[in-house]
Amino acid sequence: MNLGNELFKFDALANFVGIFITLFSLLIVIYSFGFMRQRKGMFQYYIYIILTLLASLGVVFSNNLILLIVFWGFLGLLLYLLIGFGQKERTPSTAKKAFIIIGGTDALMLLGLAFIWKIAGSLTMDKISIALNTKVAIWTYLCLAAGAFAKAGAMPFHTWVPDTAEDAPTPVTAFLPASLDKLLGIYFLARITLDIFQMNGAMNTLLMGLGSFTIIAAVMMALVQHDLKRLLGYHAVSQVGYMVLGIGTGNPIGIAGGLFHMLNNTIYKSCLFLGGGAVEKRTGTTDLDKLGGFAKIMPVTFVTFLIASLAISGVPPFNGFVSKWMVYQGIIDTSKDGSYLWILWLVAAMFGSALTLASFMKLVHAVFLGQRSKEQKAPSDNRKETSSSMLIPTVTLASLCVIFGVFAYQIPLKLFIFPSLKMTDTVFYGIWSPGLATGLIIVGIVVGIIIYLLGTVAKTRETEIFVGGEIVKEHPEMRLSGTEFYNTIKEMGFLRTIYRLAEKKVFDIYDIGKTITSGFNKVLGTLHNGVLPTYLAWCLLGMIILFFILLR
Amino acid sequence: MIYLFYLIFYGFLLTAIVGLLASWIDRKVTARVQYRVGPPVLQPLIDIVKLLGKETLIPKGASKMTFLGAPLAGLASVILVSTLLWVNNVSSNSTFLGDLIVVIYLLTIPSVSIIMGGFASRNPLASLGASREMKLILGYELPFVLAVFVPVIKSGFSIRLGDILNYQLQNGVIIGSWSGFIAFVVVVMCIQAKLALVPFDIAEAETEIVGGPLIEYSGSGLAVYRLMKNMLLFVLPFFLMILFMGGLRFDGIHLLWGILKYVGLVAIITVIRNTNPRVRIDQAVRFFWGPMTVLASISVIMAFLGL
Repeated sequence: MNLGNELFKFDALANFVGIFITLFSLLIVIYSFGFMRQRKGMFQYYIYIILTLLASLGVVFSNNLILLIVFWGFLGLLLYLLIGFGQKERTPSTAKKAFIIIGGTDALMLLGLAFIWKIAGSLTMDKISIALNTKVAIWTYLCLAAGAFAKAGAMPFHTWVPDTAEDAPTPVTAFLPASLDKLLGIYFLARITLDIFQMNGAMNTLLMGLGSFTIIAAVMMALVQHDLKRLLGYHAVSQVGYMVLGIGTGNPIGIAGGLFHMLNNTIYKSCLFLGGGAVEKRTGTTDLDKLGGFAKIMPVTFVTFLIASLAISGVPPFNGFVSKWMVYQGIIDTSKDGSYLWILWLVAAMFGSALTLASFMKLVHAVFLGQRSKEQKAPSDNRKETSSSMLIPTVTLASLCVIFGVFAYQIPLKLFIFPSLKMTDTVFYGIWSPGLATGLIIVGIVVGIIIYLLGTVAKTRETEIFVGGEIVKEHPEMRLSGTEFYNTIKEMGFLRTIYRLAEKKVFDIYDIGKTITSGFNKVLGTLHNGVLPTYLAWCLLGMIILFFILLR
Repeated sequence: MIYLFYLIFYGFLLTAIVGLLASWIDRKVTARVQYRVGPPVLQPLIDIVKLLGKETLIPKGASKMTFLGAPLAGLASVILVSTLLWVNNVSSNSTFLGDLIVVIYLLTIPSVSIIMGGFASRNPLASLGASREMKLILGYELPFVLAVFVPVIKSGFSIRLGDILNYQLQNGVIIGSWSGFIAFVVVVMCIQAKLALVPFDIAEAETEIVGGPLIEYSGSGLAVYRLMKNMLLFVLPFFLMILFMGGLRFDGIHLLWGILKYVGLVAIITVIRNTNPRVRIDQAVRFFWGPMTVLASISVIMAFLGL
């Protein structure tokens, strides 16, 4: 018996995830040189980053479930430690929250492993194949999926992601919740769904339902956020919905789309976080009310941020569109099984994409375009990009967004996605030729430029803006920051009630758990009143019960 | 190379000519409704040429690249989607460029370009108008997606435009069935909003926020936006014809039929725009998320039942 093969395996899926884990670690380290400069404890910080890289590679390449969960648990601890580098007041409690949610679901996964041992008698991943026809098997699957969901940040275990996004240092957020945890969570979900368990229709429907719900609910929350990083954090949750939806379709194209979306999401989401971090580094704030007009000051960051925003909103020809399009085809394909629910999932996914676009338009306006706020007036009129170590990662990621979109069939799908699922590119029945489309778009832009040149675009003149004759300089309060854009939607009918409840954290699994725990505490706490005779009475009572049971 | 020809000839020139003519019909009918004489046939073209001769002004401190680039992106996407529709309509077995989902996504880019242009002007009124445009997109996207999938359900779950056309060639047009008709009504409302015409011209609202996103545009930028909007006046009804009315056919009497269908659609749009007052943005969103979504859902259910 070869112990190496027993414990580790290197198949196409693992290799592909491993490659990107390494790439993201490298980019984050480069970025941190710029962002985390002049902070204390940097030695530990980089040690933790490297340990995270090693542990993630361990998760991806292990073939033994026990080994996997050891690495997995280690990642939870490292996440806790890395969030601790944040400098906000709420950071400690956020780190605790993330640790408790991840740790709690880790415990569920352990329970799932015990069940697997009971059912299959083996913990080597490529030797297990469990049919979902017994109650135990279903519970096992749910336990393991809970772990994957919490890691990736799918509902209902998502609540640690927005908090972490707001309170942790930006590179950490871009590293763990936005990229590595997505890769690992969805990797594990794909493993259990495709390899370990044989899925059935009901479970697939459950996955698709959860996915659709995650997309809509999280993006609706993102729509009304006031903080740059928290808004991005909600999108980190919402995008997981597409991946779960894709994997839940259970047909080749949907699963390929889900995995491809996982890859794309890590690319543009970390690009967005890193671009946001560049603005944060420059201004010291992520409050959308205090930003605005940075397109002129940081043009490169603006372009990368814009590309990533369009990619995440699924605007063709960027990469986000291709994977969403594949997921949609997967959803429509489920109609062949006689299901009518597909239209519901499809509309949720497509409408979710419009909502994503809306919240990114708001973000781009509030940070980069629009009017500058009073706070940022002072010396920032001249152009000043961030340091090159912070530009290299964002530019790399933004160009990946374009390349993976335009050459979707030639590069990412052919090299990474199809080999990991052992299929060929014959699965498409829709049509989309991104290369040709990009070429034609360029020709279209040339046509537009010719029209421009026929006109007077060569000599332009700068003027003051026109606001019905008012002089804007004298009225600095005449400004829209962008945070108020969707208040009409927030105030609409039943949505208002839902938003109110969400603000009170009624839907937060952590807060529900906290309420239940402190409820128990209150009841049990009354017993501890510090009066000795009470304690003696309890002891006596306990002994009587004990004797009664033992000597009966 | 042949695609380049399609793009220049069908996608740009033909679409622009038809779009300008449709815009003239729209203005002429509007004028007659209001007891005016109305403009001559060439007026839409003359407007654009005149705008090209005007000075291009850029608001102080704005990102010039975004401000002037946004109209180009919008125009390019309209040309692209128009080429796509033409080629797929002419040869319905082709696998050219994209399917229904691609078209739906490409059709949002013109709106996005207007929004980006408005944001880049650094004018509070433009920001306000652009945010209304975005909310309008959110409003109509829900019923639009639902209704557009009625032809997909009818034609046996194919998202290729060619398959939808072939289905209609053999089984009669989709608008002829009850579900198809209801979906058609919903989509007409949605393209009214996509074209930003009354009653859904909330984003531009000249009398209130002075053109919204377009307030700072002048000269070349405005000319390109004008051209883009006129071309949309052809592209969107054409899209509707492909989905619900069997597209445009070129053999004999069918060509006349096709032209009549198109003129009829433009007439419907014009009539709606001339008989309604502008609504508020929250009313518009409520209208689309309420009655229109319910109607669209009914049509989807009826399509599943085979009606």
